[in-house]
Amino acid sequence: MTNNKLTFLFLAAAIAAAGTGTADAAEKKAALPPLTGFTAADMPGDAGGAALLRWNSPGEAAEGAVIEVHASDPAKPGWVKIKEFPAAGNLEKDMDMPFWAWRPVPGRHAVTADTTSSFGRPAAAQELEFKLRLVKGGSSVETEPVKASIGGNWFNASRLNNLVLMLTIIIVFFWTVSHAKRKGLFIRRIAGLDAIDEAIGRATEMGRPIFYSTGIGPMSLVPTIASTSILGEVARKVAQYDTSLKVPHFDPIVMTVCKEVVKQSYLEMERPDSYRDDINFFVSQDQFSYAASVDAMIHREKPAACFFIGHFMAESLLLAEVGATTGAIQIAGTEQESQLPFFFTSCDYTLIGEELYAAGAYLSKEPMLTSTLKVQDFGKAFVMLAVVAGAILIAAGAMFDLDSLSKVVTQLFKAY
Amino acid sequence: MEFLQYHFLAFWAWFVGLFTVTPGWMTFGGWVAAGLTICLFSFLYKDNPFFKVAEHLYLGAGMGWLFQVYLFQTWKPKVFIPLMEGQFSVIIPTLLGLSLVTQFFPRISWISRYGFTFIMGYGSGLVIPMEISTNFLRQIGGSISPFIGATGPWDLFNGALVAFGFICVLFYFFFSVEHKGAVKKASNVGIYFLMLYFGAAFGNTVMGRFSLLYGRFDDLYKYSDASYFYATHVVLGLLIAYFVLDKLFLSKKDGGQEPAH
Repeated sequence: MTNNKLTFLFLAAAIAAAGTGTADAAEKKAALPPLTGFTAADMPGDAGGAALLRWNSPGEAAEGAVIEVHASDPAKPGWVKIKEFPAAGNLEKDMDMPFWAWRPVPGRHAVTADTTSSFGRPAAAQELEFKLRLVKGGSSVETEPVKASIGGNWFNASRLNNLVLMLTIIIVFFWTVSHAKRKGLFIRRIAGLDAIDEAIGRATEMGRPIFYSTGIGPMSLVPTIASTSILGEVARKVAQYDTSLKVPHFDPIVMTVCKEVVKQSYLEMERPDSYRDDINFFVSQDQFSYAASVDAMIHREKPAACFFIGHFMAESLLLAEVGATTGAIQIAGTEQESQLPFFFTSCDYTLIGEELYAAGAYLSKEPMLTSTLKVQDFGKAFVMLAVVAGAILIAAGAMFDLDSLSKVVTQLFKAY
Repeated sequence: MEFLQYHFLAFWAWFVGLFTVTPGWMTFGGWVAAGLTICLFSFLYKDNPFFKVAEHLYLGAGMGWLFQVYLFQTWKPKVFIPLMEGQFSVIIPTLLGLSLVTQFFPRISWISRYGFTFIMGYGSGLVIPMEISTNFLRQIGGSISPFIGATGPWDLFNGALVAFGFICVLFYFFFSVEHKGAVKKASNVGIYFLMLYFGAAFGNTVMGRFSLLYGRFDDLYKYSDASYFYATHVVLGLLIAYFVLDKLFLSKKDGGQEPAH
């Protein structure tokens, strides 16, 4: 009987204690503030698959809590957690968007919720439901689910600075073209390009071939496009002197474009009879197979001149060094800074980056092309001025505690 | 029919079994790797038939590898599977791509121009905004970034030095202005900055190349082991023997000149 009494008292105490615990948990749960002002919308200016979620600050009571973002496809049951972050962070003013595309509201939070890993990126807009859960310790509060239709956008307002700059360049280009046609433009001497005549003349005198490599870049790369332009000029002179030209290729598309370029050059010099289809030939689309094969060709045929102009990577030294051992006069040019030192050490003349792009205009002297050089120079002058002005404004902003000034300058020259 | 099926399956089991990795295959692989490495390195001495074999094998293997990569990573997932799933819109880019093949047939080679025009237009459209983003915006942003949060004179000096060097380098690349006077002086300073960068890039790349060389030497050392029947030693010995014989007997016949191909 005494035992039964003790058991009863123990159980009563345990129930009372449990009751107090439940009351504490309820108190804690009640202590978490609700998330108010929650909205979900399509993320502006993205490729699709992301939503922009915004809500009011939960205040200091949520310190140390985290916010979970949950998403759901209304057509399928269940919610997927797609993001988690501290409740105090992600203020609207911290969003990585420029001032012309984003107006932050003080005291509001915002986050970009990427749903592609859970829901894919369908071609058309997709309707999804979102909800936020504020979690701290064992307690949590949730918002009501909000629907949003998310999809890709045609225009990205964050890149407006890019568009404005491009339009300015286009206007300057048309102005310089008309200026070049009327008055002509000055181009400074580029030693590497002046040496092309010398190299072709040497090959003609020695009766040996000329090797021209456009590198391993595809046709979409600017250095490859510049290289095809220089090849056209080289082919004109080769056709004029009736020298042998060999153009081994890495990329079949570049080869086909080069075929047309070389053919056109021979036609323009009225030497279609000298043109052969095998001037341009495909070697390999494997980088080092290409290098090994072209090396062997250069070693065996001992050309009088080698041109390595275009996009080159690790094969640059392999090619240029073998060319140097055969005693060929070598002219190289690439935009790859890491490969330029190798060309410097093993070639007679090297076109550095921009000089390569200037080559087409320099060799042809056509107003249309020379005006592109003027546009490039305009671009460089703009960059110089922007750097000087930007540096002064940012330094002034730091000196006079004008954070907004520094922010505006930084965002103006940021690539989004 | 069952007889044929049985023999086909037996043949297939035997064929697949050939490529099961066994110690024998590993040893053979070691000999091939050591042999091809040494044959390619032999070019450092002079051109020879062993280098030619390795070169052509490398070329063929490289193309074979790329063919299957294009087949299984481009053609199958981007053309074959979408077509099987009824996505007929992939026919348009496929036809544009196939138009390039008409280059092999002179009478209809003009069709390839449609493909090339698309490639050029698409390439330009993709590259122009990217170039503006990289060469203008990122460059300006990167040059002014050292000034953001600059706390002392040293930080300001650092930022100013970077910006000064950058501007001087840009002067070197001015083409429509004659390089004389102040422009020449600025461009000369720019050349010094360029050379500093190229020196650092040269050292960095050479270090990378040496690590590749160590990798090859490490493999050669591995294959010189008794478990590989001294593959490295044997191949190297045979190659040296060839060069000695070539020097003593073969080269004298043609006056030591390598034939032109």
